[in-house]
Amino acid sequence: MPVFNNMPMLYEIEGKQLFKENKIPVPRFRAYTDSNSISQFVEEIGSDVMMAKAQALSGGRGKAGLIKKVSSAEAEEYIQSILGRDHRGKPVEIVMLEEPLEIEKEYYLAVMLDNESGKYLIIASSRGGVDIEEVAEHYPDDIFKEYLSIWDVPFSYLFIDLGKNLGFEAKTLTSFTNLMTNMVNMAKQRDLTLVEINPLILTPDKKIIAADSKVVIDGNSDFRQANITSLKSQRDRHTELEFEADQAGISYVQLDGEIGIVSGGAGLSMATCDLLEFFGSSPANFLDVGGGADETKIEKSLEILSRQDIKGIFVNFFAGITRCNDVAHGIINASKKFKIEVPIVIRLVGTNDKEGISILEKNGIKAYGEMEPAARKIIELVKGGN
Amino acid sequence: MAILLNENTKVIVQGITGKQGTFHARSMIDYGTKVVAGVTPGKGGQEHLGVPVFDSMKEAVEATQATASVIFIPARFTYSAAMEAIDAGINLLTVITEGVPVQDSARIRQKALDNDVVMVGPNCPGLITPEASKIGIIPGEICAKGNVGIVSRSGTLTYEIIQNLTVNSFGQSTCVGLGGDPIKGIGFNECLTLFENDPQTKQIILVGEIGGTGEQQAADLVKKEITKPVYAFIAGQTAPPGKQMGHAGAIVHGKSGTAKEKMRILSEAGITTVKISSEIPLRIKENL
Repeated sequence: MPVFNNMPMLYEIEGKQLFKENKIPVPRFRAYTDSNSISQFVEEIGSDVMMAKAQALSGGRGKAGLIKKVSSAEAEEYIQSILGRDHRGKPVEIVMLEEPLEIEKEYYLAVMLDNESGKYLIIASSRGGVDIEEVAEHYPDDIFKEYLSIWDVPFSYLFIDLGKNLGFEAKTLTSFTNLMTNMVNMAKQRDLTLVEINPLILTPDKKIIAADSKVVIDGNSDFRQANITSLKSQRDRHTELEFEADQAGISYVQLDGEIGIVSGGAGLSMATCDLLEFFGSSPANFLDVGGGADETKIEKSLEILSRQDIKGIFVNFFAGITRCNDVAHGIINASKKFKIEVPIVIRLVGTNDKEGISILEKNGIKAYGEMEPAARKIIELVKGGN
Repeated sequence: MAILLNENTKVIVQGITGKQGTFHARSMIDYGTKVVAGVTPGKGGQEHLGVPVFDSMKEAVEATQATASVIFIPARFTYSAAMEAIDAGINLLTVITEGVPVQDSARIRQKALDNDVVMVGPNCPGLITPEASKIGIIPGEICAKGNVGIVSRSGTLTYEIIQNLTVNSFGQSTCVGLGGDPIKGIGFNECLTLFENDPQTKQIILVGEIGGTGEQQAADLVKKEITKPVYAFIAGQTAPPGKQMGHAGAIVHGKSGTAKEKMRILSEAGITTVKISSEIPLRIKENL
């Protein structure tokens, strides 16, 4: 999956639910999609003060006023005021109420599957609760990094030195090493590529509790992690069209340009976007049908584009595992089924290209063999139509 | 010479009886690849495309002395198929499959490293040594034998570049598609070193993408150890900035994953960096 795609991140509350299931201590919390039955939660936590946190997949919630300490009397009004509010293009649909924590010290903790080493990388710091990138810059000695081989069983003893480096002692040290074991096991068992806790809070009675959660999942593991990949966040991180594409196994990112793209392979799809920009137009999307796409995927791609506000379509294939005859059939099927009223230019070479081109020609459609002349043609048609 | 693969390399196709396996095994055989066996559990003893099929990699390797295997198997079964291939003693493992869970890829990668196996992929087009052999799905007809070595993170974009070279009379020594996944087998640097030491290769082309740090590491290596001219193209130059892998990713890898930043670092290392891929043969001509 290219970086170009949306990161499959979970909502904080979904991450905390996972934490809870994996014995990583979290504050008591409850999800609200309206402001009913707040009193029940107040009773449960035995406190009149609580944290209200809007659930969003983009950062900057605090600055946007979407996280607030409220009294039970204020909670209802506050929840109502932030439900539906726009945060970086998405409305807030869930607010989490959470038990407030007394803070003695804040830590940073992360477990990630590191791309470079192919190992689990643990990052920890006793300077948590702030922008950890700044800590890394100004106090690099206060950041601890440890690698765990992909085969390692994360026994607690492996984390004793780390815990001591962070300043944990006695019972808290044991709580920490157990937490680490649970965190790494959770990452492995649930195919998580990143688990970040910032801050991890040490309370005055020496308990450690995850006050926040940032979890990134592995989209490729959907066949064995269906109950994670079906979480609400995985719907919400996409636009409606992106979600439909994702369900069909198509990698599609909506952009705001004028020419819709259907292509195969992330690299070529990106290079196609680049080329349109360099030649004076702009891509309306990134679309990679994926390796070995059949005609239904091509058809679905064009259906998605037919519902986007665009001025032209550029189909660009250099087929390897995909076959040009499938691409051609997909295009013909789509042109019969959907209303495609904008000009379309097709570039088709690679596996079975002669067959594909003859299928198109029988239907009166000409295909280009080279990408640059085809790109110039679609731009000419789009600009000429203005 | 070429690298990794030549006309004598004996190759086993894992998943040879499947739809993709059949199609691409046939195309490999037609190209001249020595496909000596296929493996599909439960279909041992049969013959498919004129090639004997075995139940296991162990049996196939014992019977044929093959040193390479290529995987055309659905993502959920790829982990086990790759482990089986390494345990059977092959030296070159190519995983074409797309959508392999990252953790599985990390495990395969480590197992390959521990056993000195060269792993290419996953989610890759494979490799081709023109007029000798190909493993994977790169269309043979666009290639020609020559002196340009290509190493790429992309699939179809590589075909684009190969064709452009061929049309401009620049043949290739070997083309390697590394694959687009975050965790994969060999990277730019392993291939750059192999090309540097390959007498047939006179120029090297590196095809990168936004994200990751492979290009930056390649720049370091080129500065220090590569004497042959290197050309580079990076896809995603106009892409909106990709979301960072949380803060942890930024701490580890810095913020150098944009195309612009990569192109700057590559240029500084003395690599000829082009904006549009079709400029590559023109630049090679200029420098000859």
